[in-house]
This record gives sequence, C-alpha cells and structure tokens, in this order.
Amino acid sequence: MKKLIKSEYLARVEGEGGFVIEIKDGKVAKINLRIFEAPRLFESFLRGRSYSDVVDFTARICGICPVAYQMSSVHAIEQVFGIVVPQPVRDLRRLMYCGEWIESHSLHIFLLHGPDFFGLESAWADKQYLEIAKKGLMFKKLGNEILSIIGGRPVHPVSVRVGGFYRTPERKNLLAMLPSLEAAYAESLGFIRWAAELPFSGNEWDMEFVSLSHKDEYPMNEGSVLSNKGLNLPVGRFLEEIQEYQVGYSTALHSGLRRNGILTPFIVGPLARFNLNHSMLPQEISQKLVECSLKLPLRETQKAIIARTVELSYAFHESIRLIKNYEKPDRPSVRFDACAGTGAWATEAPRGLLFHRYELDGQGNVNNCSIIPPTVQNLSHMEQDIHHFIEDHPGRSADFLRKETEKLIRGYDPCISCSVHVVIR
Amino acid sequence: MRKPTIGVFKFTSCDGCQLSLLNLEEELVDLLEFFSIAYFREALDAPLRKQFDIGVVEGSISNNRQRDEIVDIRERSRFLMTIGACATAGGLQALRNWSNIGEMKRQVYPMPESVEALAISTPVSEHVYVDYELWGCPINKDALAETLISFLVGKKPGIPVYSLCMDCKMKGVPCILVSQGEPCLGPVTRTGCGVLCPSFARPCYGCFGPREGANIQALMEYFQKMGLDNRETTLLLDKMNTFAYRKARIEKAD
Repeated sequence: MKKLIKSEYLARVEGEGGFVIEIKDGKVAKINLRIFEAPRLFESFLRGRSYSDVVDFTARICGICPVAYQMSSVHAIEQVFGIVVPQPVRDLRRLMYCGEWIESHSLHIFLLHGPDFFGLESAWADKQYLEIAKKGLMFKKLGNEILSIIGGRPVHPVSVRVGGFYRTPERKNLLAMLPSLEAAYAESLGFIRWAAELPFSGNEWDMEFVSLSHKDEYPMNEGSVLSNKGLNLPVGRFLEEIQEYQVGYSTALHSGLRRNGILTPFIVGPLARFNLNHSMLPQEISQKLVECSLKLPLRETQKAIIARTVELSYAFHESIRLIKNYEKPDRPSVRFDACAGTGAWATEAPRGLLFHRYELDGQGNVNNCSIIPPTVQNLSHMEQDIHHFIEDHPGRSADFLRKETEKLIRGYDPCISCSVHVVIR
Repeated sequence: MRKPTIGVFKFTSCDGCQLSLLNLEEELVDLLEFFSIAYFREALDAPLRKQFDIGVVEGSISNNRQRDEIVDIRERSRFLMTIGACATAGGLQALRNWSNIGEMKRQVYPMPESVEALAISTPVSEHVYVDYELWGCPINKDALAETLISFLVGKKPGIPVYSLCMDCKMKGVPCILVSQGEPCLGPVTRTGCGVLCPSFARPCYGCFGPREGANIQALMEYFQKMGLDNRETTLLLDKMNTFAYRKARIEKAD
C-alpha cells in the first residue's frame, strides 16, 4: 500500500521549501525536502570584491542572522591578515551576538515553533497564546535594541569591520538597558519550565551533535569543533571531515560526515550546542534545569525549544555581565595591512555552526570563498529524523503525518534563505 | 467594517524586510487591530486567497517561476507595494546581471544544470505595475508602519525622498565626504536609514538606493578627482542597489 505525504510550501519557517514523502507498506521509500528558494550565488559574486565588502555583503545572506555572517566572515579575514582584536572588542562582538541570539530565539520559540504545541496556525490566532507571544516580542525587542546600539540597526548592522568596529558605543547607552535586561532575564527563566513541560512526541534516537566548544565559555565566536561521537578538531580542519553534495530536488546542498566511506547526517544548532556545552552555563540557569528534572542529553529534535529557552536566558545573563564590564576601547579598531592568504573560521549562529573560508589575494580581494550555513548541515539529518518518526507511527493518516513532519522540520529552526549558499571545493 | 487584508509575499531575498514587519513588535499587535494579515508564510499557516487589499512584496525576480508568480500576485492585490532593495532594485543578487550566469552557477553547484536561475535579477517594477515602493536594505520599519497607516486613512505616506545629506545636516553629523575625504554615496542616495553609516564614521554605501534626480555621473567624476579609477567608482555603486544606480547613472547622463 502506497501513501504520499506532501507539503507545497512550509509555513512558519524562514525561506521557501516543501517536502514529498512516499511510504510503501509502512516503510519510507522516499523523502525529498524540496528547497526551492531562489539561489542568489553569493560565493560567485563575492569573487573579486574587497574584504570590507565581504562583511557588508555576507550579512545579506540572512535577515534574521546577519550578525552571524558578519562575525564568521570578519574572524576568517582577520585570520588571513594576522589580526588579533583586543579583549574589549572581543567582548563587544560577543555582546552583539547575544543580541542576535535573543532576537532570533525569541522569534522562533514564541512566533514560529511555539504555536505548534498548541495546535495554532499563528502566534496571534488565540487570545491566550497571544499573551505569551507578546512576551516573546518584548524579548525580541531587547535583542534588537542591543544590536541597534552596537550596530546601528538589527537587520544588516553597519558597525562591524575587519579589525573591530567603525565606532563603539558609549558606556552610558549600554548601561541604560540594564533594568529592562534584568527584568527580561528573570522572566525568561520561567520559560525554561514552560518549554520543558510542552507535549513532546518522543521521537528519540541516537544522533550526532556537532558544535563549537570553548574551555572558558558557552561557545559563540570561538572554539574548536566537538561532537558526542569523537569529533574534536580545529575549525580549519572541519572541511576535511564534512562533505557537501547536491541532490536534484533541492537548490540547497546537503552535508554529511565522512565515516568509513559513508556520509552520515549530523545535527548542529541549539540542541547540539546545549547538549555539548551545558556545563558552561551559569549556576542560576543550571539550577532551573535541575528543577525541571530534565533528562540530558536531549534526544528529540523538537526539544530544541527547551535548549532555545535556556540559551535565551543565557544570552540575557551574558549581556548583563558584558554590559556591566564594558569600557569603551581607546580605538574602535586595530590598524592592519591586507595580505594574501587563506582563512577559515566558524561561529555559532543562533541556528548552529556557520563556517566561512576565504582565499584572498595581495590586496585583500576574494579569489575564492566557501560558506557553509547551519541549515545546510542539518538537511540530511532532518530527512533521517522524518524517516524515524514515520516508521515509528505506522498506520497513521497522511494528514497527521504531514502535520507532524512540518512540526518536526520547524524544530530545527531552518533558515532556508541561508541554506542555498554553499560552494563546492 | 471589514479590516483590510494584507498578503506578504517573498521572492529572491534574505527575509530581512519581511522581518521588519515582525520587528514592529508591540506596534504590530496594534496594527492587527486595524488590519488582518491573511497571508504571511513566515508567521502564519494560511492558504492563498483570491484577493488581498494590500500585497506586500519582498524579493527580486530571478527565475521563471517567480516571473509567473508576480503577475498572479499583482492580480490578487488591490494595492501592491514592494519593500526593500531586492524588490525595488533587484538586490545584491543583481550583480549577476553584469556577469555570466552559467559561469556563476558552475562556481556554486556541482550540478549547475539542475538549478534554474535567470541570467538577470530584476525589480518587481520591471514585471508589473507597483503602487508604492519602500527602498532600503533593509527598509526602515517605521516607514512600513507609516505606509500601512496611510493606506488605512487614505493619505499619501510621509516618506522623504531627498538625499541622505539633508538628514546628516539635520542630525549634526559631520560630512564624511568633506571631513574624512572618503567617497560617500550620500549625495545620490535616498534618505530613510536614519543616518546610520555617517553616525558610525563611515561613508554611506547606498543601501537605500538612488534618490530621484540624482546626478550620479557627477559624483563619480568627483570621486575620480579624489583619486579613484573607473573600476573603483563603479564598485561603489555595485552593491545592494546596483541595478538601480547603474540605470540612474545612464539615464541622467548628459
């Protein structure tokens, strides 16, 4: 008996995609995650452009996570030029990333994913849920405010440059945010339990979690690549471990880890990051996890919503700490000379590992570049996840399976506009 | 009285301008008292309907499917507005217009033949009549709110179209071109960003696109006197609004 499950155009995800699934006698015969987002060919038009254009251009890969692109690109280029930024600049960049995690996670938890757990078509479809969504919008606004103070605006900030910033904020402007941030932090802690108590389907299986890891902090801008199945290497060698390949039904490439000649899926993002780094969380947040009796690691991808609420609280906590310690640097950026070379870096975008690699000529113009967004790394894993779910629910209706598959995909917080930007080596 | 319905549509873009609608935050909740958002794939699971009062379009047209879809969206929208550099100017991806699409696809995809992409990325206005345009990369979210409210009360939106220079002066920001001697696109760029880059001590890079009547060629010649060559001045225009700046430069040439 054959069953066809189709979704033309996924809702409540960023970008354009759908899926087609064929089931034959209870077994999944085919899963095609159809990404039809139109490619913009960044890696091609970046060739010949200057290093300073790279920072402004790559932001435009994504409207929700432009800072992630700016951070990954700026660090990779600084590696080529041999620049090490001073601690205050490093801290300001981390604060900026906190702003983006807050803005992006709030959007996803409360407006995109949250409604699924209540059977709602949107965050404003129900008056009761709308009150929760309003809290989410309030959190989001604070994330945007941090970005506006440091970067001028939250979408495609203007202050980031190779070597540091064009201009750094005044201490008093950041301090003015503290009361709202402290109130939001306190409120966000309550949402960890809210997320932990949502109805989950129990689709747990053995996954490989991949994220950055750092000896001193919960990873954002720096670290080596770690997994729960033996990966532990510097970012520069990450390309050696993963392989991108093209599937005919998608404008986005897929990725897998080479294991004994077989390409195996892996997952990046808050679930992976949290599972690998929760020991780095501050006491107050870890305490909340204990109170919720959460069994770790989290092994169901839908439970990423719990990881996101934890990271939301963490980002508030960390922004408060960084703002209290902030001293405006003497110079907004360091002086440097452009030179030829290759640089590779990864930072933790809200959705996971974002990898950039640039080959620059003597003037600092791009010869070649490679950008691997987190969603590209997750696409094969998504398909395998769907496969598990469907085979665990034999005999269910096509409508049920379609809805559950859509929810499952949403749990990854896919950023489809980003995912059509990968270059082959 | 029935609330006007809004449909939000995405073409080739980064989603940043649609996000501006959600970035209105509590103002969005207020707007929902007066409007019904009937179609918005990013935030809502609702089917496409026959008619919308306002179609809000983000993104440029860069493949065949989109060429057909935009005509369909125009037919469904009583009033069509475009938001952002992709929709109003073709976006950063319009850089392909000055290059070879086959070569570009080969650089990105192992199997380029299986990816459909037009050789050019064009603004929505090249395909259908557009009732109102909001420029910017991204747009200014307050401009979006202003436009929607203006539609509601039947007035012309209060969106300024003069150059960035006017707002730099009004804000008391020192002129980058004069005081720093760096090539700034402010004189030929539409205001609306709130004076961002000059406030950060950097020259304007034109994310709001050419202002009407701008004499781009004259500014390029001024930059050349400053020491830039023809390639460098063209690169300044070849960013988010490349198609619009190049077009305006040619059209205004004496």
